[in-house]
Amino acid sequence: MLPLLPFFIFTGFFLIWPVIAVTIRSFKGNKNEWTVANYRPILHTGPYLHAFVVSLKLSIITAIIGSLLGAFFAYVIVTYARGKFGAVIDSISAVFANSGGVPLAFMFVAAFGTEGIVTKVLKDLGWDIYAGHFTIFSFTGVVLVYSFFQVPLMVLVFKPAIAGLRYEWEEASINLGASPFTYWRRVGIPILVPSFVGAFFLLFAGGFSAYATARALTVGTVPLVPIIIGTLVDGNVISDQANLGDALAVGMIVIATIAMTGYIWAGRRAARWRNS
Amino acid sequence: MKRLNLKWPLTIVASLLAIFIFVIPLYGATVYSFKGNGGKGHSWVNYQWLIHADGFYPSLFTSLKLAVLAAAFNLILMVPTMVYLNLKGQRFKPLVDFLCILPLIIPVVSLAIGAQVAMPKFLQNTQYELVFFFVIIALPFTYRALDTSLQTVALKTLVEASRSLGASWTRTITRVIVPAIRSGITGALFLTFALSIGEYTITSLLHWETFPTWTVVAAQQNILGAIAISVFSFVGAIALLSAIALFSKRGLQRVEVEE
Repeated sequence: MLPLLPFFIFTGFFLIWPVIAVTIRSFKGNKNEWTVANYRPILHTGPYLHAFVVSLKLSIITAIIGSLLGAFFAYVIVTYARGKFGAVIDSISAVFANSGGVPLAFMFVAAFGTEGIVTKVLKDLGWDIYAGHFTIFSFTGVVLVYSFFQVPLMVLVFKPAIAGLRYEWEEASINLGASPFTYWRRVGIPILVPSFVGAFFLLFAGGFSAYATARALTVGTVPLVPIIIGTLVDGNVISDQANLGDALAVGMIVIATIAMTGYIWAGRRAARWRNS
Repeated sequence: MKRLNLKWPLTIVASLLAIFIFVIPLYGATVYSFKGNGGKGHSWVNYQWLIHADGFYPSLFTSLKLAVLAAAFNLILMVPTMVYLNLKGQRFKPLVDFLCILPLIIPVVSLAIGAQVAMPKFLQNTQYELVFFFVIIALPFTYRALDTSLQTVALKTLVEASRSLGASWTRTITRVIVPAIRSGITGALFLTFALSIGEYTITSLLHWETFPTWTVVAAQQNILGAIAISVFSFVGAIALLSAIALFSKRGLQRVEVEE
């Protein structure tokens, strides 16, 4: 126990204590009295409820796009790209998935902005992406940018699951007379479903919590919960409730916790087929 | 039953998709970053602006300093913890496992707000508070990296051998265990460093200036310059990671998040 003390003290103080502190303060009013008033605007005031809806929509859509495309990439990489090339793809996915943040936003402005390179090329080819409502600073724009890190994240998370499919299983089913299609329908896909669902929850949680990219890209034009918390913290928005930001932060923790519970639960189901 | 050979069709579809999703935006941004004054011609002007811009070196230096400290602190904390956990502390493993996945669950924005409420004044007044939060954010990844590499070595045997030959605990860790799990340590070190150097959320919400927050402010003056920075940091990170993947025997698979 004693050698673990530094770790417990560290995580207790820098991880658990901040969460407890923000939760406590979210139930305190302007005069430090206990109240649930901070939570009321979330349910009753249009903009805050709307922000949760937009954030949920964004994270669900990008998690769907990311998990489907990512699963496809993961399959192709595991099946056909091994060795050094596979290792390079791994590290590129790691960079794309993790170090997105601020640089990602500016890269997409350069590519898909009004004056962007891709925008111009597509226009020359006869497709003006700005003809409709699209801008890179809009909801659709954020979906596009988020997919850029959701897809490689899916590749990283889902690859081990596909690599865990044993060749013997495929061989056995084919020896029993199954076509490749039947193998996938009856064996492959059922085994992969828990891992897929787990990865989906992880992507959802990641998209829901992401702040840097949206902040640098939209400067607040798309109302997302993290962005609104950010503006409250910066004091750009005056609210009569001093601790409204805390309530929003706790709301995010609750949603992320639900998603991660799904992730952990699915992970347990997926583990059944491993190490046996 | 003949197996269908889908290798080339699938590879081609995947490559085309990858080009559309990843290569084109990256290429577009690179071309854009070499635009000359007023958007005409090609030149290094944006990169030159970058080097001479106010705050470029100080913020880059701050980021490097904090990232190095975070990586070092992370190892000092986590290597002994993980060794003990795999050696004698098995029963605490579920708890540590849970604590290490928490940073993925708790949104960083919420953690930042919590930090403002919970941290004592003396910590809030120094930028070094960020070091601790960078370590927290990197925990899920370092835990996984160190744990997988500890499980591949015969830890117990190594420790018993070293101890019975008269080595102290410190000596056992530094001279026996650390060399044995070098790949995990390299992975953990690099990931903490990379996450710290690009961290924006908690840094900006706690009102500190590092390289990423400086970039966002600089973008308001010179968007081309900000694009140049972005291309520079992306390409740099990919080159570095690919080099590590190619030159380290075991690659980077170990540091992925798996369930």
